[in-house]
Parts: sequence; structure tokens; C-alpha cells
Amino acid sequence: MRAEIKKIQDMMETADYVTDPAIAMSVHLAMTLKKPLLIEGHAGVGKTEIAKVMAKMLGTSLIRLQCYEGLDAAQALYEWNYPKQLLHIKLEESTTHTTSEKEAAIFSPPFLIRRPLLQAISEVGEPPVLLIDEIDRADEEFEAFLLEVLSDFQVTIPEIGTIKATQPPYVILTSNRVRELSDALRRRCLYMWIDFPGFEKEVRIVTRKVPGVNERLAREISRFMETVRTIRLAKVPGVAETLDWAQALSSLHADHLDEELVAETLGCVVKDADDIKRLKRELASGGIGRFVAAQS
Amino acid sequence: MEAPRDLMRATLAFGGMLRASGLPVTTPQVMDAIRALEAVDVMDRGEVYLAFRAVLVNRMEEQPAFDRCFEAFWKFHAEDGQGLDGLVSTVQPARAEEESDPGSIEAAREEQAQIALDDWDEGEASEGEPLEVPGVSDREVLMEQDFSTFPAEQLEEVARLTVLIAKRLARRVSRRRRPTRRGGIVDLRRSMRANLMKGEIIELRRRARRRRKVRLVLLCDVSGSMDLYSRFLLQFLYALQNVFGRVETFTFATRLTRVSDLLRGPSYKRALKRLTEVRDWSGGTRIGDAIREFNQQWGRLADRRTIVLILSDGWDTGEPDVLAQEMLTLKRRAGRVLWLNPLLGNPSYEPLTRGMAAALPLVDHFAAAHNLSSLRELAAHLTLR
Repeated sequence: MRAEIKKIQDMMETADYVTDPAIAMSVHLAMTLKKPLLIEGHAGVGKTEIAKVMAKMLGTSLIRLQCYEGLDAAQALYEWNYPKQLLHIKLEESTTHTTSEKEAAIFSPPFLIRRPLLQAISEVGEPPVLLIDEIDRADEEFEAFLLEVLSDFQVTIPEIGTIKATQPPYVILTSNRVRELSDALRRRCLYMWIDFPGFEKEVRIVTRKVPGVNERLAREISRFMETVRTIRLAKVPGVAETLDWAQALSSLHADHLDEELVAETLGCVVKDADDIKRLKRELASGGIGRFVAAQS
Repeated sequence: MEAPRDLMRATLAFGGMLRASGLPVTTPQVMDAIRALEAVDVMDRGEVYLAFRAVLVNRMEEQPAFDRCFEAFWKFHAEDGQGLDGLVSTVQPARAEEESDPGSIEAAREEQAQIALDDWDEGEASEGEPLEVPGVSDREVLMEQDFSTFPAEQLEEVARLTVLIAKRLARRVSRRRRPTRRGGIVDLRRSMRANLMKGEIIELRRRARRRRKVRLVLLCDVSGSMDLYSRFLLQFLYALQNVFGRVETFTFATRLTRVSDLLRGPSYKRALKRLTEVRDWSGGTRIGDAIREFNQQWGRLADRRTIVLILSDGWDTGEPDVLAQEMLTLKRRAGRVLWLNPLLGNPSYEPLTRGMAAALPLVDHFAAAHNLSSLRELAAHLTLR
């Protein structure tokens, strides 16, 4: 393995992110090829975490753009500070400045609100990590706009001029696949699919993140989660749920799983009323043994 | 390290192989793959695999096909001690042995060349002569005639007319979208400018709220006699496509196939003709299964702003219960569900097949789409309200 990739993997582990070669490789390529990295996967498998760890690793700032339906350029790129402009106009009312002077004054950098994309482009010093979170929630029109920004990392503000990034930021996009993303965006990015972790990886994550959990409990939790994910649920629990649960069990000073304990804490594992019912039924029919018994 | 020439050629060949297996890999992506090789240990199979995967795979669904191709591509024998040469020299034989369909790359290449030529032909033809539209009286007859009754030599002409009508409709729709003076959202930036000298905002400038485009998902039955109707419907909707946000197309007989990428190319007309080649003839039509496959694998393509069109005669050899169940799931997810059944053009037809009867209560609009005038009427139903 290339030393750089190994180094990334080690650094991610030091930053408390349990990783695997595929993730390290994607991060490595995103950094060397200077291409945006699109990460897809179920909710709660640690997509957003990668950007945070990357910023920590590089010792640079993390700029986050959370997407939502109706997100537009004014929220993502920049906006003029209208109340401040208005106030300024009011204060200047009695002065003899001409209209064009007034105009130049209020459409100048002090009146500009920099939103995440502009922030990422105009950052001085080390290039930051730009996290565009849940891009699938934004509209298709926004996606097209984003594509433009990502292709040349420059923004033209009519009143000020063109701002170009001296060093393009590292870009991470995440998607939960609520909506299918355009092919154009996909082609522009490196791609990574993060699946639910395998048994061994999940054990490592639990022991790493929740120190109060002993080895036996961590293995039982991971085995339980592995089995739960094979049941048809409306919302399949991710790693976030595993950690919630482990945290809860840890604060109850549990050292192994038993039926009573599971029944009491099931709400940490699944968070949908129908799912809880279904899981209880499964537990009642097969007993906890089916969920915890080593399948190896 | 600069990637050696041979390695570059091998990567290009691999790109071609992926394309032949249906992955939409672009040339810039292949160039990136070559650049990626400089950043990894090319002697390490695992690393090359991960690097290629990150660069060349666009979505999770493509991964199995990618894995198969990579397996065939990389016949790396450590013991021959040749390293890179081992990789490069095995490219040729690997292709011949491992492909399930030998020579498919060659076939795909030829096909591509063919398409390119076709494009050129089309370009030639459409440049010189103006689009011929038959005289008025002829046209009225054409409008009402069922697609299946046209003689083969007239189909081309009818197809042109289909596109012409669609384009006219598209123009009308886009004109209707013009922003209004009242309503909409306040445009603070322009208001600020307009009121600079007044000291406060007196006059508000507005801009129309952007209208979101409706998306279409087409599920086209291409079994037997339905094939012809599918082609006209597709022709019609694709000519309308700038009115819509996105058009996704699937064909089905027994299995569902996504053909959107195939249809997106410039030589769309030829692609349309190739659609029939992917058809499987065995076992009749199983509409319920096809819709289930859509719901499970492609459900995210349909949301409240999506209109789903199903074109089928409703002759279903599957279970009506399955069809009803899946139609319900689809209806819950999509904005509107339209069912087009060309048999409806026949006045004596009644939707009595079990499949049709099961699906009908769950459909928002039921129409014929069997001739030009019915396609034109269909356009009125392609809105969400």
C-alpha cells in the first residue's frame, strides 16, 4: 500500500474514525486529483463524518452547506445585507452624495454576506474542506448551479467583480438518495458508496467510540445490529443507532445483552412505531438467542 | 511518476470495456483514471481496483458490472514477475476469454461507429431539405389513423409529424410561463436599487417564483404489438422534453430495463430502433412484477412532482393482486399516474382483462395514445393539477 494512503488511514483512525482501505483511497484521490467526492449511503453510516475528519486531518477549516428543498443561490453563495443597506441609505439621506456614490457604497464588500460557497472560494491560506451535505434534498436547479461553481471555483458578483479561489477547496458531497442526482454531477465527482459496516468493523467502531463497553458486549451489540438489518424494516438502523444504543447500555452498566435489557432499550435501535412492533414480534418468536448467537 | 504509455492504453481499453457493458463512462473520467494510477501503487491489484472504482463508477448500481469487468481485465500473475507488462499483455486475451459474449466490445465499437455515421447521415438530410409536412387534408386523416394501420413506408413521415406537434405544444407551454408583475417573491436587490434616492423602500420589485418543472417517468410495454405504440409515445414525449425537468424511461416485457441513457444520445432515433433488440420474448408480460421492480430499485425517481406514464394493453400474465399492490405503492409516491392503452382507441374495447381491472381504480387518467390526435390530447394531462 502506498505510504500516503496508509497515512490517511492512520490519521483517520487517530481522529477516531474507524475506516477501511476503500474510504482511505477515495479521500486520497479526492486530495491528489483535486476532485469533489460524492458519498452515498444509508442514513447514519458516517458520510458527513468523513468531511469533518478530513478537515481535522488537514488542519484546515470545515465549511458546511446544509441543503434543503428550496435552497437557492442567495442562501448558498452570497446575499446583500439589506437591513444594513437600508440603514445606510437612511443615514446618508441628508448628505450630498450622488446616487452613484451611494450605490457604490452600499454594494461594496462590507455589505456582502458571504454564504458557504463564497466563503469556501474566498478563503485565504490553506484550502478549506467544503461539505455540501445532503445534496439530494436540494432541487435539480440548484444542482445545475452548483455544477457551475464546482467547475471553475469562481463567482461573479455584478457589483464587485469576479472572485476566484486561489486554491480550490476540497469538496465533499453527501447524498441519502432521496432523489436521483444528475449524471452530469456524478461524472464530475469521484464516487463512493458506504454500506453498513461489516461485523468486525462495527465492533471496532463501538469499542472505539464508546469506551465503557467491553469486548463481549460490543460483539453482542454488533451481532444484534447485523441481524436487525436483515429484517424488513421501514427504517433500517445505521451506525448512529448502534452508537446511541451502546451509549445507553454503557450508562446502564450492562456487560452483556439479555431480553429484559433489550426490551427496555429497543427505542435506541429502531425509531419507528411499526418497526418497534415488528422487532418485538421477531424477538418474541425467536428469542434473543437468535439475535446474539454467533453466526460464524 | 508518469503513467507508462502501455498502462495508459490498457486503461483506455478498460474504459471501452466498461462502456460496452453499459456503464456510462466518459473520456474525462478515463483520463482521471490514468491520473489516479499515478497516485497509487500500480503493482497492487487492490489499490488499482479501489482507485478505478472511485473514478469510473457513478452510482452504486454500477458496481457489480464494474467488478465483473475489472475481474476480466486484471489477469495479474505475480509469478510471471513482469509487473506492469503482465497487466498490459493480458488485456487482449482477457477480453476474449472472460466476456460472456465474446467479441461484444468489437460489436459495441462497430455499433458506435455505425451510430456516428447515422448521425452524419441525418445531419446531411435535415440540413438541405425543409421538414416536409403533408397537406392539410392529408394531415387530418393522419391525425385520426391508428399507428398500427400505417404502412411501413409512411411511419417515418408520421414520426416527423409527431415531433412537429410536440414542438408546437412545447412552445405554447413555455410562453405560459412568463413571470407576472404581481405576486411572486420580493426581489430585494432590485428594490434597493430602485429606491436608492428615496431613503426608504417605497416600491417593491418582485420576481416570479421559479416554477418547478414536472418530471416524467415512462414505463413502456414493448411486448408484441405494443412496441410500435411505445415508439410513437417516446418520440412524442422526447420532443416535448425541454418542458419537463427530467424524463426517465423504462421498458418492460417480463423484466424492467432502464433505457434513459440509451435515449439521451444525439442519435436518439436510431437508439429507439435498437430498443426492440433488448426485448425478451419469453413468458408474456408481467406488469405487476415490472412495477414492483421499479418501486424497489428506482422508487427514488418518482416523487410528488413526477408524473408516471404506463403504456400497456393490460394483457398481464402475472398476478392481478401483485399489480394492484404495486400500483398502490406507486400512486402513493408519484404526483400522478397515467395509464395509456392503445386498445382504448377501439370503440368496442372494454378494460376487462384482470390486470386492467385491478389497475384501473388506482389510475388518475386513462387514455388511448393510439394516434396523433390522442397524443395531442395527452399533453393536456401532463401537468400536476
